[in-house]
Amino acid sequence: MLGGGLVIGIIAILHVFVSHFAVGGGLFLPLTERKAYRDNNPALLEYVKSHSKFFVLVVLVFGAVSGVGIWWSIGLVNPEATATLIHVFVWGWAIEWVFFIVEIAAAFIYYYGWERLDAKTHLMVGWIYFGAAWASLLVINGILTFMLTPGRWLETQTFVAAYFNPGMLPSLVVRTAVCIALAGVYALITSSAIGDVALRNEVVRYAARWLLVGALIIPFAGIWYISTLPSMAREISMGGAPAVTIFAGLSIFFSVLVVAFAYYGPYQRPRHFTMVFAFLLAVLALSTTGVTEWVREAVRKPYIIYGYMYANSLRLADMQRVRAQGVLKSARWVRVHEVDPHALERAGEEVFRVQCASCHTVNGYNSIRFAVKGWSWVMIDYQLAHLSALKGFMPPFAGTDAERQALGAWLASLNSPPASIAVEPGSSAAESQSIDATGEGGSQQ
Amino acid sequence: MNPVIPGPVPVPLPAPPGLLEFLLVFTFVLHLLAMDFLLGGVIILSVSSFLGRRDSRHREFTRRVSRAMPSVTAFTITLGVAPLLFLQLVYGQLFYTSSDLMAWYWLAVVFLVMLGYYGVYWYQMQHDELGAAAAWVIVVTAILFIHVAFLFTQNITTMLHPQNFYSLFVKGQVGTILAPVTLLTIARLAHFVVAAIAVAGLGVALLSRRWQTESPELADWGRRYGVTWFMAGTLVQFLVGLWFLFGLPVEIRQALVGEKLPVGLLVAGIFLALLALLIAPKSLLASSVAILGTVSMMAVLRHFVRIAYLRPYFDPHLLPVQGQWVVFSIFVVLLLAGLATVGWMLYVFYRPAAARRASM
Repeated sequence: MLGGGLVIGIIAILHVFVSHFAVGGGLFLPLTERKAYRDNNPALLEYVKSHSKFFVLVVLVFGAVSGVGIWWSIGLVNPEATATLIHVFVWGWAIEWVFFIVEIAAAFIYYYGWERLDAKTHLMVGWIYFGAAWASLLVINGILTFMLTPGRWLETQTFVAAYFNPGMLPSLVVRTAVCIALAGVYALITSSAIGDVALRNEVVRYAARWLLVGALIIPFAGIWYISTLPSMAREISMGGAPAVTIFAGLSIFFSVLVVAFAYYGPYQRPRHFTMVFAFLLAVLALSTTGVTEWVREAVRKPYIIYGYMYANSLRLADMQRVRAQGVLKSARWVRVHEVDPHALERAGEEVFRVQCASCHTVNGYNSIRFAVKGWSWVMIDYQLAHLSALKGFMPPFAGTDAERQALGAWLASLNSPPASIAVEPGSSAAESQSIDATGEGGSQQ
Repeated sequence: MNPVIPGPVPVPLPAPPGLLEFLLVFTFVLHLLAMDFLLGGVIILSVSSFLGRRDSRHREFTRRVSRAMPSVTAFTITLGVAPLLFLQLVYGQLFYTSSDLMAWYWLAVVFLVMLGYYGVYWYQMQHDELGAAAAWVIVVTAILFIHVAFLFTQNITTMLHPQNFYSLFVKGQVGTILAPVTLLTIARLAHFVVAAIAVAGLGVALLSRRWQTESPELADWGRRYGVTWFMAGTLVQFLVGLWFLFGLPVEIRQALVGEKLPVGLLVAGIFLALLALLIAPKSLLASSVAILGTVSMMAVLRHFVRIAYLRPYFDPHLLPVQGQWVVFSIFVVLLLAGLATVGWMLYVFYRPAAARRASM
């Protein structure tokens, strides 16, 4: 029911929402602590202390474990792509791991060190935390953008080309700005609980400023980032695929809402700001994160590593072989290795499992039954044969004509009553195959 | 292409397999030490929590030990990242397949760990408020972590039998297939859990020494109590270890016995464990060093067992290599700098002037 993509999505969106706070909050803590010392404001210092407890509980537990969770889920859903990324970036991840160790040690010492350390040393530990946390973002950001804009790596296969890819720098700026904005969002939650009215007003306004400053940078860096995307990725988000366009629109809409609420709410009227309002803002911010990350993932379609591997784990370099040999003979984890003309659906279901199931479920998320509702076998076969031309965000079908027809037969059988399954796709399929070969040749090396 | 055994991805390894295997085993030892303290620690805390209902020493002991557990949990998880990274690099195609067969169970690890982690925090933060219920919080936490250990044992054992992948695959729905739980898997799990109890015993004994100035009586009691756990665990471990060793398939044992290094490691490991057992009541530090030796040797031996299992199917030394030496050097430099930074932070945290004030 859930489908691999959705499992990754749920874990990833929650992780992104917390991990960016882990970085932004890491800047918020020492800066606010320093402000408390400079203004000689012990009440503010007390607030920073209580915020640091909230921070540790959210970041160290949920942030760290959900990060491991993403790794777990991508390995399960896309083992080929994960293995490829690990081969290319293992030292990058090893470096990130060093930063994690420093980050965690610093977080604990900062949290447990309020009474034990003198102000200067305590502040220093706070800065070490932030430095390590931001450095871990620096590493993972390059790996993430690699998947969408692998740049020169496709030719050179070197680490430097892979890491310093075209999207790396603008994305780093976007994410850093998101960190600052989210530090504000979380601080609004804790500051709304402050008992002292004067202090609450001060901190609420201060936290709102963090949110607004971060939010101000995002659109500019965002445009820069979008300018580095492959043209097809831009087209998908701007009309090429209606669902993606709607989500891209929602991303902008939610962002505007967050900024408007933050400005007219806590920034302008800190006195009337409540915890309910703070949680509403957090939910809105989470929604923004959710739809934006979803769009970022969606525009990478039909690839998982752009121009190298399709979303269903097929390498572009292997396409010709799979076409000639057949997907059932190329794939290892199938129960049927040949298309039996008397049991087409059985082979078709296996083809679906190995080639489509990384994105589609049968009845649940991105349901294939819904996608082919009312379609005849002929119609389905035509679609499958022209996937690239008709649905550019889907990988082209890889397999023999017989396998494609078997897949079509199984898909048609999902309709009840089966939509004209008796009519076999005939010459049109053969004809479409030749169109397909020329139409898609460009993208398949 | 072998029709049943999955093949590695066609991207060269970024360093020679020998170096990657070394890092795999080395970081695994680091993870093991933290994991042992965590798993064994929550088991010891479970027992002491029940005893603490009537005995104030146990109550004070659990209160103090529980303070260490959140950071031990964090380091168990973080130190586990590196060995899993190198495992996926060198043995990815096998690990991903065994994980995918049991995908839903494997994914559950993440949630079990998160629940257990919050359990550890709950127990620590509300130790006194929870009262009698505290014992149940830590028992459930221990059960969660033992479950995680079971799923790890199951996956890493399944990974060693690629010849069984296909027959497992056709047996049911991918994602819900657990390889049959054999006596050997249980022995392996028991080997880990008992080791954890022994190491954690030593760990809490070492921790107790820090209470010397505040409450010398409790410190002394805690040290003896920890050493008792360590000795009991180590004695049981000799039996469990033999059970595991003689539970291994004959051909694997023969392959190990046939080579000098694995036999040497086994003998030296057992010898050091015996030594640790004998000197524990006298010198905790010497005993800990000896046990560190045992754990390291057993981890290397475990790697030889893996190689023996996989020999017919996969040899990472045959894979193409294209060293990324510049990035590797940056990693080494940053690792040293990172460890120095952590060392400095620990120093300022624990330096005597500050230690006089009570910790939180």
